[in-house]
Order: sequence, then C-alpha cells, then structure tokens
Amino acid sequence: MSTLELDDVVKKFGPDTVIDHLSLKVADGEKLVLFGPSGAGKSVLLRLVAGVIRPDGGTVRIGGADMAEIEAEDRGVGMAFQNFALFPHMDAFDNIASPLVAHRTTREKIRTGVEDVARLLKIDHVLSHKPRALSNGQKQRTALARALVGQPPLLLLDDPLRNVDAKLRFEMRIELPRLLADRGATVVYVTQDYKEAMAIGDRIAVMRDGRIAQLGTPEEIYGAPETLAIARLFGDPTINLLDVVPEADGEGLHVTISDRPVRLPAALRAAAGKPCVLGIRPESFHFVEASAPGAIPVEIEAETPLNEKTVTLAVTRRDRELLISRPAGTPAPASGSAHIAVDGAATLLFDKGDGRRIRGADDERRAA
Amino acid sequence: MAGATAAPSNAPRKKGGLHISRSALPYVLSLPALLVCIGILIPFVTAVWYSLQRYRLSQPWAQKFNWGQNYLDFLYDSSFWNTLQISLTYAGLTVGIELVFGLSIALLLQKRSTLNNFVSIMLLMPLMTAPALAALMWKLMTNPGFGILSYFASLIGLEDFRWASSPSTALFTVVLVDIWVYTPFIMILLLAGLRSLPTQPFEAAALDGVPRLQQFFRITLPMLLPYILTATLFRLLDSIQQFDIIYAMTQGGPGDRLTVFQVEAYLDFFQSTNIGRSAALLMILWAITFFLSNIFIKNWLRLRERARGTA
Amino acid sequence: MEHTSTLERVLRGIALSLIVLFFMFPLFWIFLMSFQTNETILRIPPSLFFEPTLGNYKALITGKLDTAAGSLDIAFMKNLWNSVLLSTSAVVLSLILGVPAAYAFARHKFRGSEDIAFTLLSFRFAPPLLVLLPLTIYFQQLGLADTYVGLIWVYQLICLPLILWIVRGYFEDISADVEYAYRIAGHGWFATFRKIALPLAGPGIAAAGLLAFIFAWNNFVFALVLASADKQPVTVAALAFVTASGIQYGQIAAGIVLSITPTLAIALYAQRYLVEGLSLGAVKG
Repeated sequence: MSTLELDDVVKKFGPDTVIDHLSLKVADGEKLVLFGPSGAGKSVLLRLVAGVIRPDGGTVRIGGADMAEIEAEDRGVGMAFQNFALFPHMDAFDNIASPLVAHRTTREKIRTGVEDVARLLKIDHVLSHKPRALSNGQKQRTALARALVGQPPLLLLDDPLRNVDAKLRFEMRIELPRLLADRGATVVYVTQDYKEAMAIGDRIAVMRDGRIAQLGTPEEIYGAPETLAIARLFGDPTINLLDVVPEADGEGLHVTISDRPVRLPAALRAAAGKPCVLGIRPESFHFVEASAPGAIPVEIEAETPLNEKTVTLAVTRRDRELLISRPAGTPAPASGSAHIAVDGAATLLFDKGDGRRIRGADDERRAA
Repeated sequence: MAGATAAPSNAPRKKGGLHISRSALPYVLSLPALLVCIGILIPFVTAVWYSLQRYRLSQPWAQKFNWGQNYLDFLYDSSFWNTLQISLTYAGLTVGIELVFGLSIALLLQKRSTLNNFVSIMLLMPLMTAPALAALMWKLMTNPGFGILSYFASLIGLEDFRWASSPSTALFTVVLVDIWVYTPFIMILLLAGLRSLPTQPFEAAALDGVPRLQQFFRITLPMLLPYILTATLFRLLDSIQQFDIIYAMTQGGPGDRLTVFQVEAYLDFFQSTNIGRSAALLMILWAITFFLSNIFIKNWLRLRERARGTA
Repeated sequence: MEHTSTLERVLRGIALSLIVLFFMFPLFWIFLMSFQTNETILRIPPSLFFEPTLGNYKALITGKLDTAAGSLDIAFMKNLWNSVLLSTSAVVLSLILGVPAAYAFARHKFRGSEDIAFTLLSFRFAPPLLVLLPLTIYFQQLGLADTYVGLIWVYQLICLPLILWIVRGYFEDISADVEYAYRIAGHGWFATFRKIALPLAGPGIAAAGLLAFIFAWNNFVFALVLASADKQPVTVAALAFVTASGIQYGQIAAGIVLSITPTLAIALYAQRYLVEGLSLGAVKG
C-alpha cells in the first residue's frame, strides 16, 4: 500500500517543458487515471514516478518517502508499457519472473508466483513462448502480469490497452477494474480513451500541455468539465456546441435555439449578453410532440444504431447540426420532421473567449 | 501469489557489486574511450609543434622554432606543388570514376534477385582485400616478364607497356588498382540507398508514362543524393590520403611521379629525416581533410538519423 | 522496369559479366598462380592449364624455401601469426573500451558526450601519419617502439571509432522502454546492461567486431612505421617478402592468398552487416 505525491514537478526536454510545475496527490489504494491527448506529458509523468527519468525540479514522494535519491529498481513500483516493452530474448515466463528474480526469491517461489499471475490473466499456456510468438493480446497480458507479479504497492499502467484490438480492449475494460480492485494497490493509469478512463478511474486527472487541467471523479469531469476542450474530450458522440448569447429575462436567463427559448439556470445570470458556447450532451435531447413547451423543430438527416444506443443526426432550421442519442430500442421518428427539447439544467455554458465553463452560484457552493 | 514478496518501496536494499552514482555513470563508462582520445590528441599536438620548427634528425643541433617558415617555404617549393597536384588529381580521378562506375553497377543490381545479390556479394571481395596486398597482386599481374596484363597489352599491340614503372602510365596504374579496390564501396552504399527508396514515386511516374531516363534524373538521382554525397565524401577523404596502394606499388616513384601527401611526408620523415617539413605537409593535408570531414559528418548524420528513424 | 526487351536483357548480361570479370579476375589469377611453379608462371603465352602444385604453400608453412641456390628461411607464418595476434587483441581491447562508451553515448546524453564521440569519429578521417610520426618518437622514449602493446594501442585509431559508432547505433535501436522495464523490475544499471542491452545488441556487436578485425588486418601504414620485421603483420611482410624472395612468384602468390583468405571469409560470413559497418552505421543494408 502506498501513497503518491508529486509536488511542483518540472521536466524539460531541451527547450520544451513537458511537465510544467505539476502537483498531484494519489491516496493509498486509489485508482487515478491520467487522461489527455498525446503529447500532454502523461507517459513522461509515469516515467518520472517510476524513476527511469529524473525531474528537473520538484519532489516525487512514494509512501511519504522522497524519491530524489532512489533509483528505479529500488522504488518497488510495477509498470506496464503501451508498447509492452517485453524482453524479446526471454520467454514469457522469464519476462514475468523478472521482478521476482531481482528480489532473490527462491526458485520455487518464483515459479508459483509466475504461475499464479499467469493463470489469473489466462496466459499460463504460453509461458514458454518468446514474445514474438505471442499474439498482441497475450503480449499485453504478459506485460501486465510482469507489472503485477511482485505485488507492488504502486502500479503504473501506461495505456496498456492502446495496442490491442477493439474486442480485447472491450473485454479488458471490464476485467481490469476488478483485477485492480482485488489487489488493493494504488494505481496510476494513463489512457487516451475516455471510456477506459471512466471505467477504471476513482478520479481522473485531465492533462494538457504538461499540466493538470482538471482533477475530479468521472462524474464531475463528465458533468462539469472546466473547459470547452475537456468537454469535447469526454463523450461519444461528442458534445453538441452551439454559439449563443444568453439573454436575461424576468425569470433569469435563456438562450434561443431556432427561435425557441431554452431556459438556463438562473445562477448563470452573470453570463447575460456575453458571447458564449452552449454545450449539450447528445443524451440531453429528447424527442417531443410539436405541442410540447420549448419544442425545437428539426429535420432528421441520418440515424446510426450503435450497440446500446441510437444516434440521430438532426438539422435545425438555422442549419445547425445536432447529434441526439437515446437508449437503443426507444421509439423515435427515423426521418422527416420532428421536434426535440432540451433540459436547460443539463446544459453547459462556456465563455467563448477563454473556453472556461461559466460557473453558477451552486457550483461555487459545491467547490467550496 | 502467496509466495511473491514485494520489496518495501523505501527500504534501502543491499546491492551487488557495482554502485556508481547516476550522474557519474556515463562518464565512468566512456572514460576509457576518452583516455584513448587524449592519447591520440597528444601526438597530434606534437605534430603541430614539429611543423613550426626547423627540425632535421641529421642536424639535431639546429633544431629551433621557426614559426611558419616551413609553410612559407612551400610557396617556392616545386616538389610541394607537385605533391598537391598529384594528390588532388589522384583523389579526383579515383572518386570520379568510382562514383560513375559504382552508381552504374548499383543500378544494374538494383532489383533484388538471387543473381544480383550473389554478384553484389562477390564484388565485396576486392574491398575486403588489404589495399597493400591488392597493389601487390596487380604488381604481379603487370610484371613485364610474366604479368598476364602485360601479356594482354602486348596482344592489343602495346608491346612494352610498362604500367607502374613508367612515369607516363604510373598514375593510370595506381588509379586502376584504387578503382578495383574501392568501386565496390560506392556500389554497396548506393545499392543500399537505391533499395531503400520508396516505390510510390516510381509507380506514379510509370503510370504517367514518364520515360525511364527522365525518371532517373528527376526521381532517382535527387532521392539518392544524400547517399551519393556521403559515399563520395567518404571516399574523397580516404583517397586524398591514399598511402597503401601507392607506397606498395611504387613507393612514390618513378621519380616523384606519385609522391602524394602521405607518401611525401613518409619519405621526408624517414629518408630525408626532415621532420619539420614532414609535419607541415601533414598539417596541410589535415586542414584539407578537416574541411571535407565537416561537410561529410553533416551528411552522414542526416543519413544516420534516417536509418535509425530518429529524424 | 516491368517491361524488358530481349536486347536489354542481353546487354545487361554482358555488362554484368564484364563487371564480374574485372573484379574477380585478379583474385582468380593470383589464386591460380599460387598453385604453379615458377616455370609455368613464366611461360609465354600464359595458360590456364598446368599441373597444380602445393609446393608454394608447403614452403611457406614449413618456412623453408629450397631453391637451386640453396635453402632460404622465410618467416611468413610468423607474420601471419602477428596479423592474427595484433588484429584479435586490437579488436578485443576496442570492444572493452568501446562498447561501454557506446552504451553511455546511446543511453545517457551527458555533457561533452557528443564532443567525445565526434572527436573519435574525426580520427577515422585524419591522416594517420600525422599521429604516427610523432608517436614513433614517443614510443622510443616510452619503450613501446616495436612492441605488440604499442601496435595494439595504435590500432585503436581504426577499431575504436568503428566499434563506437556502429555499436552505438545498435544500442539506440533497442527501445528505451525495454531497459526501463528491466530497471523497474528491480535490476540495477549493470544488470540491465548485461542482461538486456548486451544480448539484444549482441549480433551487432559481433558484426562490428568482425569488421574492425578486417580493418585491423588490412592495415598497412601503422605497422610499416612502427614495427620491425618480427612484429610485422602480413600486409607489410608481403611487401618485404617480394624483395627477399626475389623471383619466387608462386610463393608470393600463395602468401597473398593466405593473407587475404581470413578477411574474405569473414566478409562473406558477416556480409549482412557490411553496409552498416562500412558507413559507420549511417546506412542500413
């Protein structure tokens, strides 16, 4: 069991600052996901924690101890790599055994240790194979087994599902959280896949340009993204974004979509008259009767059934394209004219200038 | 997984043998190579020192610092100008012919086939022959008494063709040996280059019906240019310093016909024991190679980055 | 390329044959000569047909050359041994010095690392006599003149840049993550170097060693300047042999064949790595 603290960590590669004064605390047993586009510094951050590269400034603490003078081999962490980084000249058994070998355990303990974790990950039948004879899925499981076998109190997983096929990724997304929960280790998990992030993380740290742009639970990041960019990164299909200028009225605040008013929370009143971007998650739309209050007339352009939901592309009278999703099997018009409505409380309002979400009074309360 | 034990993350662990601090490690690893570097730089500095001295082994009492006198003397020294001229001629001739010849062979062998691969491997054999021994082989073949090449020459009416022992044909002969040894060097580098070129531009050109000659000048040559530059500069650097073939073949003769830089410096040092002049000659050669090697290294690094995929 | 006429194929065939003839003929001819007696060598016109004799090789190997004028001692086998000793030791030393440095340059970019690497590279292109001539004087003072140790030291001039730059390339080709993974698994840098970097770069290191051996073996000028007869390798000795043996052309040819066979054999064996080695790692074959 182990905590992880990063305090004002800086890493530069030549003139580029890859990690920019970053601080972060991961609680004992917590599963933290580092999420962000490539080049955000996620992998560098993991390597700094592992000790294979050194920070130019700041402190890394594992289990409360300063790691400045501690080499990678003495940090007791486990790590799995995106490209697996298996030792090509060793068979799967020796690959997995390598952390145990380093600790001078007896041969018998090494064998049972490797076999246990291999059985858990369903690769016990390929232990004698060299990496080049393994399928991608088996490589990935071997890499994972190698990270897990020493029961490290801190596990670093660098986008371990990136290079495996979609089917396996889907399976592992379900399997991994259970596996990690059983171990009780503190986990830092890097991914570019928001579904993975939401499935695995107790908390998600969204990284951009070497900083943490937002840190919160998956629900917080999805429901209350700090910026437009973060809102766009989460959700499939992506969030609908409409340029609006909110208007104040007697009751509070509203915006108009195709001449129909959509009421916004009164707490956002400060945004009145400012150019803004309104974010509406596809699932926040509902098909309604034309007579319903606030019904927005649209033309249905196309419908795409996905597994668990159906996505409709609709166009408003002002030629704005909207994506609307609903649980698969719910009835809805498949073509022609239709009407939709949106719950103003479920929308997100962003400042068009700096892209930051405009917080209402109740938000401020929650933050405090 | 009852058996597996995890090391506590922060407990210091006993280490086996080598423990070198992280920042010192690379220096420790490269120290031996560094020492060799220094060991070679010392004689280099000594050579610079000698080149600024009047220093003859035959007159040790007269050894004294004479600044740039050795260099100034070259201006009026016809044998120096002969050395410069013959060195440049030799380098220009060999590299020029080898480039054209090597490129042609590489183009002939470009397609991967068993025969082509076999031929390209066979052509490596002259390159792997010690140049001094290659010279000796050609010496045997051009022997006026029994040399097979002298016999062939007589068959085409060149009775008494004297090869390396005649001033008029000595240069031709050593250039021929150089070509025999080093054309494969250019060939094999350009062949590797040709085979690494992307195929799409050629397919597109073939579809557009671009004539093959035009394909060569418009596509092949420009794309091959970095390889050509690297191979040429590499050879130029070696050729301007050629010693083995010329010394083994004629020891710089007949007369002073083939006294290229290193041969002349060698003779100065060991025969005339004029160490000052010898060192000054080598400094001038060094200046030429230093200039060339700077251009070379730039090209070479670009190719290296490409080959390693780190560009 | 897709369409080749018969004429073109014939021309191509002729060109290839001429090329092979030009490059192979000298080797072939010297090989034939080495099995001939002086009488058949001196025959005019020369002929491909003769009764082969092993006499030349026998004379070289036994070190006794029997001529009409009497018996002559030849130390050719000693020179062959010198070549083996000098080249092998030089390569071994070069590997010991160069491989750790190559690893340091590939993995730990440190202050001055590129400067050292490029200085070593520039030695490859500096006139060797520039270093050799002052060295003759230093070696006399240090007692290294005409010693194997002195020669092996100087041979680093050829071997070290080659090893350093080729092996560096092979280390750079190993994914850094693979080494990181081994470190994180709990192994120190030396274990990682020994168990991961060395085995993975192994074939490349071996090839670089073989190439360095070829270049050391083929070297002429170092030993010409620094070694006396009993320390000389075959390249220098063969030249002296021509003067010493007078007109024993068959033995000279046999000596050449014996001297070039090791390098040719190694070259054929390691030909896959040759392009990379010859370009000091800049071009992959």
